Amino acid sequence: MSELDKARREIATELQQPGLRPDPSVKLTRRTFIHRSCVLGAATVADTFSWWPLINTIDVAHAADAPFKFAWISDTHLYTRSLNTRFVDKTVRAAKEVQAMSPPADFLIFGGDLAQLGKVEELDLGVELLKEIKIRKVFIPGEHDWYLDMGKKWGELFGQPYWSFDHKGVRFIGLDTVSRAPDYWSMKKMSPEERMAHMSVLDGTVAGPWAGVGRDQLDWLQKTLSTWDKAKPVIIFSHNPLYEYYPPWNFWVRDWRDVNEVLKPYTKVTNIHGHVHQVLYNEIGTMRSIGMLATSWPWPYAPEGVPKLTKPMIRVDPGDPFDGVGWGGLAVNAKDTVENEYYMWGRKEVFVQSDADSSLSQPEILRPRIADNQWPY
Amino acid sequence: MTKQPKYINLSRAAVVGTLALIAVVVGPAQAHKTPVTAQQLQAYQEAFLAEVKKGDLLFHGDDAMAKKLGVTLSTTGMACAMCHPMTADTHPHSYPKFQAQMGKFATLRDMINWCIEKPNQGEKIDSDSEAMKALEAYIYWSNTGSVLVPGKY
Repeated sequence: MSELDKARREIATELQQPGLRPDPSVKLTRRTFIHRSCVLGAATVADTFSWWPLINTIDVAHAADAPFKFAWISDTHLYTRSLNTRFVDKTVRAAKEVQAMSPPADFLIFGGDLAQLGKVEELDLGVELLKEIKIRKVFIPGEHDWYLDMGKKWGELFGQPYWSFDHKGVRFIGLDTVSRAPDYWSMKKMSPEERMAHMSVLDGTVAGPWAGVGRDQLDWLQKTLSTWDKAKPVIIFSHNPLYEYYPPWNFWVRDWRDVNEVLKPYTKVTNIHGHVHQVLYNEIGTMRSIGMLATSWPWPYAPEGVPKLTKPMIRVDPGDPFDGVGWGGLAVNAKDTVENEYYMWGRKEVFVQSDADSSLSQPEILRPRIADNQWPY
Repeated sequence: MTKQPKYINLSRAAVVGTLALIAVVVGPAQAHKTPVTAQQLQAYQEAFLAEVKKGDLLFHGDDAMAKKLGVTLSTTGMACAMCHPMTADTHPHSYPKFQAQMGKFATLRDMINWCIEKPNQGEKIDSDSEAMKALEAYIYWSNTGSVLVPGKY
């Protein structure tokens, strides 16, 4: 049995015990939704198809005191402006659309990977582009933001990488799942640029299992949650998913078992995460988990480990930079529901309609790369 | 450009030397007339893996290797592996096939060039070039075990 198979068995034994599911009032439904710009006839023909999002409705008992919306943008992966204008264009588009939400969102959560190589110019560019959005903005870091200067610039711009606040009956928590990588650079005397280069390659083999929450932050999480009613909703933002999907790409946090221990008593936990650049849904123990789109580019689904509860997103056209990417609008409403709306540009249908629409219909067996892991590093 | 750490293949000279020696001593005509030796097998495998590693570096946006082979695979900072980690979703086992983006019957090499030109905004490479063979070698090697389904969408 491979290491991955062993881990899969363990996750099933530990977390998917018989009868254990998110609160029974929680259910996932889907409905199509015509954006108001189409209804009002304001959209051009090209826009019409880019404005047919699909809503995931998740019903949560005892949710908000009052209805509200919030927006998610992540994984803009900005290079310097002159190198890649497409990523800039897409960030600008997402920012404009979030700002145009009506009624406006209460806040924007930026889910990490604002920059591609962690450069000061890249992070500054991100701040400049997001100035379009006037509502409150909160940030969590991604690994691309962090490993050039170990979070220095990011911290100067955005402050604490993990935090919590209460908003209309929901406790929101932002986690830092990126800053606790095992030290792979000191022994090899890597320059900051080399350290960042290894970290910036999703399928790199040198940075290893860098995604994790860490004991100190877990203790903080436990303390933060201890003052919260166990039956009231908690929404946790993280860059990486808080369960194990595909470790070779850090589509996980390595201490998911400990995270689960802390969250176990809370019955209405929703984790919203970036990093995977794809439509993803899973339920682990009493937590449900939603993966969000990037604005930059879509990742393919991993060759194994895609949660069974995920309805895959449609296979995208690599010739269209606006396909397969976008942002997310989330609403917590008076009927005690949380709605997640994927705004995927360039698509009428977000989800696969038949097997042929899915990249998963063509099984693949893949090997990890080799050329990045040989002396001299 | 995503920069990859340099790698130096110390055994490359040895591999080339061994292959040359085999060619001289045995002669091309004799190549299949005697049972294969462990040394030959190793030399063949190393020759293959040297190309795989080259392709791996190109695929992951290594500037030094691109420069060495005289190719510009991208001008946007994007590398092949950014949409295809571990070559995921390249599906080399499905070629040749009708490729919808191009509107024609295409090989893997055609598709590699399409990706270089369109999403990566780079410069198309010669279909028989060293860089193309290396990319092909890496993509196939990484998909070892994927089952052939030529023509599949």
